[in-house]
Amino acid sequence: MSARAGLLHPRILIGGGIVATLALMAVFAPQLAPHDPNAQELMYTLLPPAWAPGGNLAHPLGTDSLGQDVLSRLIWGTRTALYVAVLAAGGAMLLGTTLALLAGYFGGWADWLVARAVDTWMSFPPVILALILLVGFGAGLNNVVFAIIIVDWTRFARVIRAEVIVVRRRDYIAAARLSGFSHMRTLVSEVLPATMPLIVTLLSLEMGIAVIVEATLSFVGLSVETDVPAWGVMIADARVYMNQSPWGVMVPTLAIFVTVLAFNLLGDGLRRALDPRLRVRGAA
Amino acid sequence: MLVVILRLLAWRVVLAVPTILAVSALVFVVLRLIPADPAAMSLPPGAGLADLELLRAEMGLDRPIPVQYVIWLGNLASGDFGNSIFFRRPVTDLITAALPNTLELVACGMFLGVLAGMIGGLAMFALRGGIAEQVIDLGSSAMMAIPEFLWALLLIITLGVAFPVLPFFGRLDPGMAAPGGPTGFLMLDALLNGQFRVLGSAARHMILPALALAIALAPLVMRVLRSSLLETAHEDYVTMARLRGLSERRILLRHALRNAVLPTVALIGVQAGFMFGGTVLVEVIFGYPGLGNLMVDAVRNSDLPVIQTVALVYCVLVLILNATVEIVYLTVNPRLRIT
Repeated sequence: MSARAGLLHPRILIGGGIVATLALMAVFAPQLAPHDPNAQELMYTLLPPAWAPGGNLAHPLGTDSLGQDVLSRLIWGTRTALYVAVLAAGGAMLLGTTLALLAGYFGGWADWLVARAVDTWMSFPPVILALILLVGFGAGLNNVVFAIIIVDWTRFARVIRAEVIVVRRRDYIAAARLSGFSHMRTLVSEVLPATMPLIVTLLSLEMGIAVIVEATLSFVGLSVETDVPAWGVMIADARVYMNQSPWGVMVPTLAIFVTVLAFNLLGDGLRRALDPRLRVRGAA
Repeated sequence: MLVVILRLLAWRVVLAVPTILAVSALVFVVLRLIPADPAAMSLPPGAGLADLELLRAEMGLDRPIPVQYVIWLGNLASGDFGNSIFFRRPVTDLITAALPNTLELVACGMFLGVLAGMIGGLAMFALRGGIAEQVIDLGSSAMMAIPEFLWALLLIITLGVAFPVLPFFGRLDPGMAAPGGPTGFLMLDALLNGQFRVLGSAARHMILPALALAIALAPLVMRVLRSSLLETAHEDYVTMARLRGLSERRILLRHALRNAVLPTVALIGVQAGFMFGGTVLVEVIFGYPGLGNLMVDAVRNSDLPVIQTVALVYCVLVLILNATVEIVYLTVNPRLRIT
């Protein structure tokens, strides 16, 4: 199977399609949302979705305990989720890949240092490290991005370093060096492209993880400022009224589920399509 | 065999020291970046600047950070973990109360998750090639997209609220007293004291939080076990066993599974570390009095002594766990036992 045909894998199409839709929702949130996400209608609090008894067509997914429109908050929440997904996963990728390339290619003390750092990081549940970082930096969306980068760079570093160590020994790397390429040029134009499939796959999976971490931290109240809609905050607010209105929890939970599933499907599909070993075996 | 294990343990302990030092330094320095002033927060309203300076000096906050770190390390070494700023109790008391609860929860979650994952993995392997396998495969990918704390909420909505069959707050029914026993593990103490009503209540309170952790773990175990079973299916010893006329069930359970279980053990080790992370929010959601709940309370109140000690406890737990997994690995895999 060619790589081009592999990219039409159903997982990539479905995952990519959902991610593209979410991205459009995030970009056009002001146009798509029927209401101001922070407008409170205290006459209409805890409305169920329009299809349930007592629902109101003006609020298709109902309202929360302050009478804010759930659908509008959900659409605006996409912005928060994708903002964190793109910046945090991208940052973790840059930091982790750079360190992995240097460690795997040069070996020696650079490799020792990175390997020890990864070990230290791994001796800590990621959520705990993120919580500690947010205590240090203070709450806020950009600090959440920063914390995810500092926590999750190891996910890239560990896997890519192993790959670089394998790639480094290949003949064409030696050939590049012999034909007078500098270390820098060999790394960027020979080693890096060989690890690209892995990087792209990890990036997609990391975006899903970033969405979960952001939701977790905004659930605890350490992420967004109070006037920024985020799925985790919606869940935390609705949790208190779960007995009267389970929808408030269900709707943003479903949003997180769909988003993470899309990133996972995309990452899984890319792995199958881009990994030459899997392609040969026909497992794709 | 024993020698190998002891040597491994000794080596792990030696390696743990620099790791713990590195983690403690990292945690200490990060927490000193804190924008709020812990001394100011712990003062009663109406206190003046002079009081603040006095308290800062008393808490050691007026000294340079490296000095504070060394003092803290010294205190740790002598068993003094400091006092909680928010709870106004020794950190040691808070942790000895919370730690057994978290361990009990993780043990139950691991047990349920590994059990479900193993059964699922075997089922997927047995049904391989059929439509049922595809359905389970799809279902497990979907399950992996939901983090523990959302499972916790979904379980509460379904089994706690919509069909109220199980309790979802705290560890015991209201009005029931903890048995107060020798181990600090509630369920174990209840059993040892013969208080079966307490044990039953504790067990029912345990189901939903343990299930939330287990559901997040099971699909991973299942998928890894399935793929390693698929690999062993082509091994010579499986063909040999088949030629000798053994039943498929016997081949699967006695031959393939024993070899395929290794990567699963490694995965469980890594995931158990993550499960401690998963307990944090699950404990908060279920009002479960463990380390995670303590941590989040401490984080919300910038209670530095509690935060840094709990962080270290998590680190030590993960290190112990990793060593345990390595020992299990050694015992199941004879190939690694070369001294």
